[in-house]
Amino acid sequence: MSAAPDREDILAMLASLDGRPAQDVPELIESMELAWLVHQVEQRYGVRMELDSGQYGRMTTVSGAADVLREVIGMPDEHFRD
Amino acid sequence: MTKGLASPGFELVTSPEWVDEILLRGADDDICLYSGGPIDRGGLRRMVALRQARLAAAGLGAGGSLALRLPPSTAYIANLLAGWRLGAQVSLLDHRLTAFEVDLALGRLAPQVVVEPGRVTSSPLSAFADVEETVTARSGRPAATPHAVIQFSSGSTGPSKVIGRTAADLVAEIERYTRIDGVPLPGERIVVLASMVHVLGLVGALLYGLHAGVQVRPPDRLTGDSVLDAVAAEPTPATVLGVPFHIGLLASVVDPPSLPQLKRMTTGGEPVPAATAAAFTGKYGVPLGNMWGMTEVGVIATDLFGEHRPALTPAPGLSVVERDGELLVSRTESPYVGVSDPDRWADGWLRTRDAGTVDPDTGLVTVKGRLDSQVSVGGLKVDLTEVEATLAELPGVVAAVVLHDDVITAYAQLDAPATAASVQAALAERLAAYKRPRRLQVLDAMPRTTTGKLVRDRSVLRQAAQGVAR
Repeated sequence: MSAAPDREDILAMLASLDGRPAQDVPELIESMELAWLVHQVEQRYGVRMELDSGQYGRMTTVSGAADVLREVIGMPDEHFRD
Repeated sequence: MTKGLASPGFELVTSPEWVDEILLRGADDDICLYSGGPIDRGGLRRMVALRQARLAAAGLGAGGSLALRLPPSTAYIANLLAGWRLGAQVSLLDHRLTAFEVDLALGRLAPQVVVEPGRVTSSPLSAFADVEETVTARSGRPAATPHAVIQFSSGSTGPSKVIGRTAADLVAEIERYTRIDGVPLPGERIVVLASMVHVLGLVGALLYGLHAGVQVRPPDRLTGDSVLDAVAAEPTPATVLGVPFHIGLLASVVDPPSLPQLKRMTTGGEPVPAATAAAFTGKYGVPLGNMWGMTEVGVIATDLFGEHRPALTPAPGLSVVERDGELLVSRTESPYVGVSDPDRWADGWLRTRDAGTVDPDTGLVTVKGRLDSQVSVGGLKVDLTEVEATLAELPGVVAAVVLHDDVITAYAQLDAPATAASVQAALAERLAAYKRPRRLQVLDAMPRTTTGKLVRDRSVLRQAAQGVAR
């Protein structure tokens, strides 16, 4: 498995939702964008993410999402299901 | 075969019995819903009876008024059906509204009972929430109209309007669905991604599914893999019902499994670009259907086999005509509550505010986008949708709204290196001078509704522009 997506990776994944440039992706992540981001991470890593509501709650910003993904991708057994 | 609709006079259905006759009827062990596990009709009836007792205890009765502010969930379904079984009028509020917006709505509606989420334990990605609801009695007013359901317009075209639909009108829409070729058939499944609080998911999935014996099954989560898991979970044919965003989810799944159960995906909400449709059908090999409808009417026209894209066939029993470039749909009564608005409805015709054409030979309808106003500039007619489409297609324009605010005014979100000057120069190449926006306001982000539509309210856009200027 490759390293956890960093901030630039997350911006690129969010940008792929509607084709906008990554630099124009806002810091705040809305609900549809969150679904898209989780979907993109799952496709890239070939796994299913199992996050709790607290972790989802922290993924409302790009920085928060980067933190959560860095944490959970370091503990695949707990948060991923192949 | 459908139940309860063949009898003459279903239009007389106004008493609470319609819920039992049209929606809940069926064998106790018939699996009609799925939410974390199968729910049969016996179980659903028990859930509804439980909510009915709670709502009655809060003072709700026949002719009363109930407001639901719940995310899509079994609690939402059970309270909705319970309210109707009590003979109450049920107002549906999107759970994503802000507290400010909810207060405004409750002020306008004055419901006697409000049901809201007390505790939500599911994740934000859940298609169906796990909700423990709270029931609150208020000093509201009983229903002032015979409508069974009250919804607000999207608000993308101005101040939201209160829209009412009677039980007979809802039953008539269910009946339209039963006559459309390509809808899920009894014994099949609808994997529903569209919100059941809005008309597509509410009638197209929930009410039609309950009526026709089509199992309504949301995926565990709104991700591509979960949607495909829901399709694969049972051997019966499945139709995925969503909005264009969901096509993107499925089209971007890497190496999807073979899914012989997948019968079709159908989306509503907005036209689907041809390239998106091609990417989906290329990957899954099933039709991508399209539907056009509105809160005031429900489904208006469909192309469920993707044969006529972007054109659509009017739904059985509805007439669509073009008048001065705008599509009008037949509707016996005005759907608007509390105001007489002949500019929106008159003489049995509802103005859709969608630009479009009706082919005189085939009757096929083509929707060409919102038509909020055709304006006169120096005696010349300007179609603002044309200006907006031209602007939106320019390189570097992420999103744009054009409206008439004394002069033609454009609001646009741009990508670097595009600038206001470069956009205006490009427009000058593409549009006659009288059509061009006199004002171009560049915004950091276009205001959008909770469902992601661009906001067209000029006061909201003006405010956004002032925010940039500060």
